[in-house]
Amino acid sequence: MERRTFIKLAGATALATSLARPAVAQQTTVRWWYHFDKPENTPDELIAAFEAANPDIKIEAESIPWGGGGDYYTRLFAAIVAGGAPDCAMVKLNNQAQLIEMGALEPIDAMVAGWDGRTDISDDIWNVNKSADGKQYYLPLQYVVLYLYYRPDLFEAAGVAPPTNFEEFLAAAKALTQGDVYGFGMRGGPGGHDNWGPFVLGGGASFEKGGMVSDAALAANRWYVGLGTEHKVIPPSAPTDGFRQIVDNFKSGRTAMAIHHVGSSNEMVEALGDKVSAVPVPRGPDGKGWTLFGDESNAVFSSSANKEAAFRWISFLSTGKNNVAFNRLTGQLPVVTSGAAEWTLHQARFVEASAASLPMAAVPPDSPLTADFVRTVWPTNMQQALLGQITPDAMMQAIEAHFHG
Amino acid sequence: MKPIAARKRLILTPYAFLAPALLVTAAVILFPVVQTAWMSLFDYVLFRPRSIPFVGAGNFVRAFGDPVFWLSLWNSAIWIGAVVALQFALGLATALLLNQSFWWRGVARALVVVPWALPSVIIGLMWTWMYDFNLGVINDVLLRIGLIGEPIAWLARSDTTLPAVILALVWQGFPFFAVVILAGLQTVPAELLEAAEIDGATPFQRLRTVTLPCIMDVIATALLLRTIWVANSLDVILVMTGGGPGYATHTLPLYAFLKAYSSMEFGYGAALALILTALLLFVVFAYVRRAAGDLDK
Repeated sequence: MERRTFIKLAGATALATSLARPAVAQQTTVRWWYHFDKPENTPDELIAAFEAANPDIKIEAESIPWGGGGDYYTRLFAAIVAGGAPDCAMVKLNNQAQLIEMGALEPIDAMVAGWDGRTDISDDIWNVNKSADGKQYYLPLQYVVLYLYYRPDLFEAAGVAPPTNFEEFLAAAKALTQGDVYGFGMRGGPGGHDNWGPFVLGGGASFEKGGMVSDAALAANRWYVGLGTEHKVIPPSAPTDGFRQIVDNFKSGRTAMAIHHVGSSNEMVEALGDKVSAVPVPRGPDGKGWTLFGDESNAVFSSSANKEAAFRWISFLSTGKNNVAFNRLTGQLPVVTSGAAEWTLHQARFVEASAASLPMAAVPPDSPLTADFVRTVWPTNMQQALLGQITPDAMMQAIEAHFHG
Repeated sequence: MKPIAARKRLILTPYAFLAPALLVTAAVILFPVVQTAWMSLFDYVLFRPRSIPFVGAGNFVRAFGDPVFWLSLWNSAIWIGAVVALQFALGLATALLLNQSFWWRGVARALVVVPWALPSVIIGLMWTWMYDFNLGVINDVLLRIGLIGEPIAWLARSDTTLPAVILALVWQGFPFFAVVILAGLQTVPAELLEAAEIDGATPFQRLRTVTLPCIMDVIATALLLRTIWVANSLDVILVMTGGGPGYATHTLPLYAFLKAYSSMEFGYGAALALILTALLLFVVFAYVRRAAGDLDK
């Protein structure tokens, strides 16, 4: 073979190989960050189903440690600032305003409009997930609503009914506080704003300017702090009790009421059987109530080169049976209406209490300051108020100052 | 020409050998330090990457007017003083015990290192549950022996939380002193102790006038090192209380950490960390002088 022929042949072969490759090279990779409470659960089956239906897309799922939210968001923010953000990720409303301020989120209104599954998600859930600028950045994935756990047996023995308003709540808590049992297992550690909200936000406080220092707001907060300082219907450990402590105290019979969501119901039933049930949190004096909507969505990042493919993946997770399968992994409730009927992961009375709480479910304000309120400002001030180091009014002034300077 | 070139090579050769180590040190220590110092001059909030105004000494001025900063500094002083002193006292006592001869001494010497070998997060969680109000073993034991009438919420009261966390860290850190001092004790000449004994010195007099002076160098170095480590350590506090209740267990490094990673205020967090560094430099200086002195000997 002449040298020239060889070079020609070699060139042609090289060209042919690179021509043959594009079919494979066209496959786009979507990087997705997620966190599950149980790390042993994996989304592998959902990914396999998606990739089988969409052979042109490969999903690279990365499990990111949650760490109470702090770890997850520090990593996410650092990745965004450093230019290494994933294409899409699980996100919560607490951080939506910060992500928007960073310019990190991609509006998905147009893509949602062309998506068949959108009508299977209720308007309540779409509305609560809309951002302040009117655009849609979050695609709902799962939810929980905080309700009141109570012990039917202890209530019966004390001759009280599950409370529907604040007065009944206090009366029940007093009647149930006997010996080493406390009426209400208040959560005063981080995350405890979801125990405080129903009574203080439901009692007239708001996040608007001046809303934390109005007469009604101050009175509601004095009442709530007074559950510990005045009426002593909460355990002395309440100022630093977190999720694990309030659940364990309730399970071991040390408390007769606790506020949490459906995510802990199986554990409660395992410990207490029929001796645990749930009702919506009590409503305030004006009949309005407030409870925390615990949300989780997926969002597409503006830095992504594969936005369309990323949306296909996240919308897959929020569609019918896939959404049900996904929530089996996370232990929360599916956002799809079609999935509610066949939901068997939790006992019906807890799912019903969740649904009955939806009309008063809300989220903390859509502000970049909310995340720090939840993690630092609320716990440090609430703990000081419960310990008598500051007055309940000073606590509310600190919260007002955090949001409005 | 040749001798000069050779001499030049001779002068440069040590630096060539040092260069890789210097480069690595610069990359992993010098660069982050300079970056932190630079960051402390800006109002750098992680979720506002498009607006990072230069504030000069603004973050430092803010710290000096921040009551939480002063509270954290005060807590840090208590924290360092109590933890290092108690760890030293317990470590010295343990080392003296382990220096006696008894048949299971080898096992005892191995066991005493266990707290030191455990990860801090495990220690934090373990002590959190031992202190637990309802289920904790400490309340249970104290109730059973009748020392307290009702359980105490150790980690939820402003007067007990800091001492409770200090106790956990003392437990974790005393083996360090025990091991270091035990090693020092091996160097005490037996003939000196024997001579003192023949002269009629009591055990306490032998400890004070023979043993301790002989191991003073070891003790001083261990104290300095431990002060630096304890001043910086925030893992056990973070796991056990997160700085609460209120600000009861906020120390300076924890406050800097929370400002940076909870509030995302990296500029202010960097300034707080630099203030801590400046304070620690005195201790570091003393340590480096000791270390350099040892080299000269």
